[in-house]
Amino acid sequence: MPSEIITLQLGQCGNQIGFEFWKRLCLEHGISPSGVLEDFATDGMDRKDVFFYQADDDHYIPRAVLLDLEPRVINTIMGSPYAKLYNPENVYLSKHGGGAGNNWASGYSQGDKLQEEIFDIIDREADGSDSLEGFILCHSIAGGTGSGMGSFIMERLADRYPKKLIQTFSVFPNQDEISDVVVQPYNSLLTLRRLTSAADSVVVLDNTALNRIACDRLHIQNPSFSQINNLVSTIMSVSTTTLRYPSYMNNNLIGLMAPLIPTPQLHFLMTGYTPLTSDSDVNNQQAVNIRKTTVLDVMRRLLQPKNMMVSTGPDKTNHHCYISILNIIQGEVDPSQVHKSLQRIRDRKMAQFIPWGPTSIQVALSRSSPYVQSNHRVSGLMLANHTSICSLFERALNQYDKLRKRGAFLDQFRREDIFKDDLTELDESRETVDSLVQEYEAATRSDYMQFSFKRAPGEAKSEDAKAAGDH
Amino acid sequence: MSATKDTYPEEMGPATPMHYITQLLSQIYLSINGPQHAEEHDLLVNNALDRILEMPNSLNESGRIVSEDDCVIKIMRTLNSKPSPNGNREELPGNVFLKTYTQFLKLKTDEKRREAVMNFLLDILESSYLHPTTIRPNRKVGLPLVPDLKLPSPDEKQEDPRYMMSGGQRGGPEATDNLKEVLSERLTGSYAHSQQQQQKEQDQQQQQQQQQQENGTSYSYDPNLSSAGLGQDQMPNYTEDLQSEKYVDESLDMVTNALFSFTGIQGKYLRKDVITGRFKLDTTNIKLLTTGDAGLMLRLSELGYYHDRVTEYADPSKGYSALGCMGQALTCFLRKELGDYHGEVSLLHDQVNAFKKAQRKSSFSPREAEWQDGQQEQVTLFKLLAWYIKPLHRMQWLTKIAHACMMKKGGELISVVWEFLDDGNPAVDKLAHDLLAAMCRPLTRMISQWMLEGNITDIHSEFFVEALTDVGPDRLWHDKFRLRIPMLPKFISQELADKILRTGKSINFLREVCEKNDLVNDQGELKKIMESNAGDIFSYTQDTKWHAAIEICYQTTSKSVLDYMVGPHKLLDHLQCMRRYLLLGQGDFVSVFIEHMKDELEKPGTEIFAHDLSAMLDTSLRCTNAQYDDPEILNHLDVVAQKPLMGDKGWDIVSLQYVVQGPLATMLEPTMCTYKALFKPLWRIKHMEFVLSTKIWKEQMTNGKKLRKMSAEISRASYRLHLFTSEIMHFIHQMQYYVLFEVIECNWVNLQGHMYHATGLDEILNAHESFLDDITVGCFINSTADKERHLETVFENIIALEIWQASFYKECFKEQSAREELEKKIAESEREGRFGLTTEEKMERDQERKMFEQKVIIACRGLEGISCSYEKAVSGFMMGLNSSDDPQLQLFGTRLDFNEFYKKRDKNLSKPLTFEHLRMSNVYNSNKNNAIGSRFVINSQASSSSSPAM
Repeated sequence: MPSEIITLQLGQCGNQIGFEFWKRLCLEHGISPSGVLEDFATDGMDRKDVFFYQADDDHYIPRAVLLDLEPRVINTIMGSPYAKLYNPENVYLSKHGGGAGNNWASGYSQGDKLQEEIFDIIDREADGSDSLEGFILCHSIAGGTGSGMGSFIMERLADRYPKKLIQTFSVFPNQDEISDVVVQPYNSLLTLRRLTSAADSVVVLDNTALNRIACDRLHIQNPSFSQINNLVSTIMSVSTTTLRYPSYMNNNLIGLMAPLIPTPQLHFLMTGYTPLTSDSDVNNQQAVNIRKTTVLDVMRRLLQPKNMMVSTGPDKTNHHCYISILNIIQGEVDPSQVHKSLQRIRDRKMAQFIPWGPTSIQVALSRSSPYVQSNHRVSGLMLANHTSICSLFERALNQYDKLRKRGAFLDQFRREDIFKDDLTELDESRETVDSLVQEYEAATRSDYMQFSFKRAPGEAKSEDAKAAGDH
Repeated sequence: MSATKDTYPEEMGPATPMHYITQLLSQIYLSINGPQHAEEHDLLVNNALDRILEMPNSLNESGRIVSEDDCVIKIMRTLNSKPSPNGNREELPGNVFLKTYTQFLKLKTDEKRREAVMNFLLDILESSYLHPTTIRPNRKVGLPLVPDLKLPSPDEKQEDPRYMMSGGQRGGPEATDNLKEVLSERLTGSYAHSQQQQQKEQDQQQQQQQQQQENGTSYSYDPNLSSAGLGQDQMPNYTEDLQSEKYVDESLDMVTNALFSFTGIQGKYLRKDVITGRFKLDTTNIKLLTTGDAGLMLRLSELGYYHDRVTEYADPSKGYSALGCMGQALTCFLRKELGDYHGEVSLLHDQVNAFKKAQRKSSFSPREAEWQDGQQEQVTLFKLLAWYIKPLHRMQWLTKIAHACMMKKGGELISVVWEFLDDGNPAVDKLAHDLLAAMCRPLTRMISQWMLEGNITDIHSEFFVEALTDVGPDRLWHDKFRLRIPMLPKFISQELADKILRTGKSINFLREVCEKNDLVNDQGELKKIMESNAGDIFSYTQDTKWHAAIEICYQTTSKSVLDYMVGPHKLLDHLQCMRRYLLLGQGDFVSVFIEHMKDELEKPGTEIFAHDLSAMLDTSLRCTNAQYDDPEILNHLDVVAQKPLMGDKGWDIVSLQYVVQGPLATMLEPTMCTYKALFKPLWRIKHMEFVLSTKIWKEQMTNGKKLRKMSAEISRASYRLHLFTSEIMHFIHQMQYYVLFEVIECNWVNLQGHMYHATGLDEILNAHESFLDDITVGCFINSTADKERHLETVFENIIALEIWQASFYKECFKEQSAREELEKKIAESEREGRFGLTTEEKMERDQERKMFEQKVIIACRGLEGISCSYEKAVSGFMMGLNSSDDPQLQLFGTRLDFNEFYKKRDKNLSKPLTFEHLRMSNVYNSNKNNAIGSRFVINSQASSSSSPAM
């Protein structure tokens, strides 16, 4: 089937959010935990074949590959009612089962070792689709398996499937609490390098922000993983809703990504979702208030930083701006309301945009699943390319620098092949991430066009400089 | 009444007593009045003769009977007392009279009758001497007028409808017949051979007399005998009672004349003007009337004039009448009116006759007259005047209406009559109402036939619905039937007429196109109501039974058509399908379709074959959600390749179409060309999106990864490329969003609302049409306008960019592979222990590297060129949007420039589009030397390519 997308779930975190994502998709498409189409969902106008393939008449199997180096999460999944959903051949557990020990290098090396088996699965899955459009990768950047093996697989995928898009849902670690993973900064940085160079689009899921939102917006004191994961799965499912419920535009991954990403490096996307409620919140007074939402309300709230699911920190200089925005609006929407809202937002200058090119808030009105009752008349997801995301990378750089200066915890990295000789990999990664931060900073200025010359001043030839001066 | 039989023969023999009596009378009159006009003379004689024929009893019963001999002597004396007209040469009138009388005697006649006749003759003679100038004695019946007498052909009588109509007032057929006989005798000189029992002994004399008659002249008098001075002689006075009788006769004469004129018949006093047709007083007899009477007569005669007019309008052969069925209804109504009117006049006539009869009797026995006076009231001109007002008004209004209706037909005719309705005069209102009701009957019949059976029976083409016979069933719904606006009665509103039109159309549609014959069930009831309530049709409040029946009929019929189309024929599904596939509402299908077809689409147009395409369409349909659509509906979807022109690629000639048959074709066929026209720009935008995202953007993303090593060298070009691409991407996406969402989707939501609430099929079709109209405006279809030209330039630049990028990356990859080659070589040589490269190789490599750098610079310039022309086109397009009158487009303009990037780049756009600005820009355009003029360059280039670039 056309424009298929294969989902890869890597590591503990990746498998958890992936699991939530598939649960959600099953719910929305009316597919039972065992993969059988429910009776009430037979005449749906949804497009299941992007994410599922049809084994027989009413049996749907996710195009998902579950990979992990330790059995815990996958065993949980296989012990759940959804066990029969997945194709068992697509579930890959490392045989020695020791996990990556939260070590990027370990995950990367194991990925290298296991790549044949892994790519057997992926190739088979890719062969089984008519015209594969791309991969979606779910992982965290802080752990070992998701980050290390994920990085390896990303690189290999980019080589092996150069024409396919790679999108990732990457979970960034929570900065507010002290992580039990001491090498987290190393892991993050190394993964960020691959995300920058190998992935085509990265949807940043910032645990910091997710926790904060869970506390502030949903009034949950100590948000559990499942509650956070619920948020994540909402974002994931809504961001793919135009693919699954096609209408006039944005019906494939490329159509979704291309207008958001102007240059290959600037492909880290933030998300925002409104209105937010948790299950326990449904009967609250507040939930009732939230329900009276209009398109304008939704679009306005989406532009508020507190609804962003990325903790960018306060923008002191106030120079960060939107490179592009796509709002996916669901619910009972009067189409004419949409452009009125856009006009209002423009008139009031509610959002700051880049000065170097034309951009605007794109809106995709999407149908939503008829089988999931929404508490809200209108809900919206924002996918935004915002320059302030670089603060996340800056933070990662800072933490890395702190560790790197002390040369702490590098031993376990040196044990692996990739760091056997030297630590240039780390330095290169730092350089890449640094240049990424630079580029985002440059994108806030109107002379972004000249960024390329500044970045490589030594190599720019005099003719170029002259031409640039002319220009 | 044995006596009557004698003098009242059906036919006259060669020597009837009547003949002699006529001759005698003629002689007497000649002697009284002297030589005069033959017609006048004839008239007098006829009158007298009539008197004799008609009133034999009264002659007999008259009181003063003198013996026959005495009478003859008296007559002779009187006649002879007059001077002989021609001196002594000729015999005296008395002698002539005697001679005739002796011949008369030879006929065997009843003595008493003869005696009575003689008495009468004497009476005439005496009375004429009393009033020589006013002599018209004993004229009893309104005899035919002189022109009628002259042309008494029976054929003509029958042809002339006035005879038939006014026949009742003409004094009875017998009288006319007698006159005819007399006249024909005299004019032809031949006598009908018939029996007449007595007077055989006088045969010989009669023959002689006959001879004499024939030899003399056709005139019945001998001019030689007339005495010129006779009429002027003062006659001796006679008794008073005779005078009074004369007066009564005279006034009765006028009354009769007036009565004749009422029915358009000329009389002694009233004659018709040849030109105007109005009555005027006879110039010869005007002196007989007093001024007052003359005035009265003239006034009364007006009624006759209008009667004539109405008669004229009621006669289809005259060419003044209204046409068509409704015209016939009018004519019929007029005739009925005339009939009633004639009846009234004849009643009057009877009254006069009766009175006259009584009068005559009274001349013989006063007592009886007194008694009779009580019975019979005299009809006077004044009484007529009192009577004539009402009929006059009626006739006047009828004339007025009929005149207005002249040569009109159908609805026009009815409208004219309708205008007369609501007159303040209740009589007129009633008249118009009755008339209109009568005239509407054919109309209601036509309407009911049309609405219930769908047939038009309209030989006069007067119905307000017309069927074009040369229009086939494929265009039945839209073109076959239409309103004939001039034939639409004014009291039927356009809305109602549309309903009526639609109902019949629907029935025809169901029967002919859908081949469905079980139509409205309760036809009989409806038909009855619709045909029996003709008067309701022009009621002011549209709540009559008739209107209700129309409404019911309309609703049931349109509902059945709607049900039929929406039900078995799935009209709504088809519309939905057309919106989704032809208007590219189903984005996934379109992208898959393009994906499948991309190789074909890149080919030159001449290498594309339709059968390949349809296979691809099927594949695309099967692998998208379209597979769940009703296959019956999808079967209508087809892909076609137009005939390629030079240089056309697959993109230019391939298009989706919708094939409709049967009832759907009737409904949707006219919109198909709009869909075709709409498909083109939509397809073009999709094409651009495809090129941009799948080719340009994706290449950039994937090649960026591969060329990372060279990024330093090519970054200048590639960054320019990325940013330019994102700029175009934004434009195309916004453009597409606007067209697909704001224009099509918003209008579609509207249309859906209309569709689900529609009560009739036309509502849906109209909504659909306006939907298409709105979209057509929003889709930038008109290729001649400025905006569209700029848009086309934008598209061309996208294609140019694609080509540029392909060659750019080709160079890059060439260079990269060359470098890799070199590195490999170095690595190999290192491995083999040889050191590196030869100088030549290194030189060559450096040369190539330099060349590549040069190429990148050149490529950069090429890119600048493309982006420059793109910028101009976009600015022109934005300018077009901002200066558009359509607020939607203005809003689109502002939204396209959401972060005011274009505005900053092109100051011209930020200028408010005031009149001042427009005026100034025109000034600047013509004055390029002005420094500020540069700000308008883009604008001026957009509007005129001839202006020099700055």
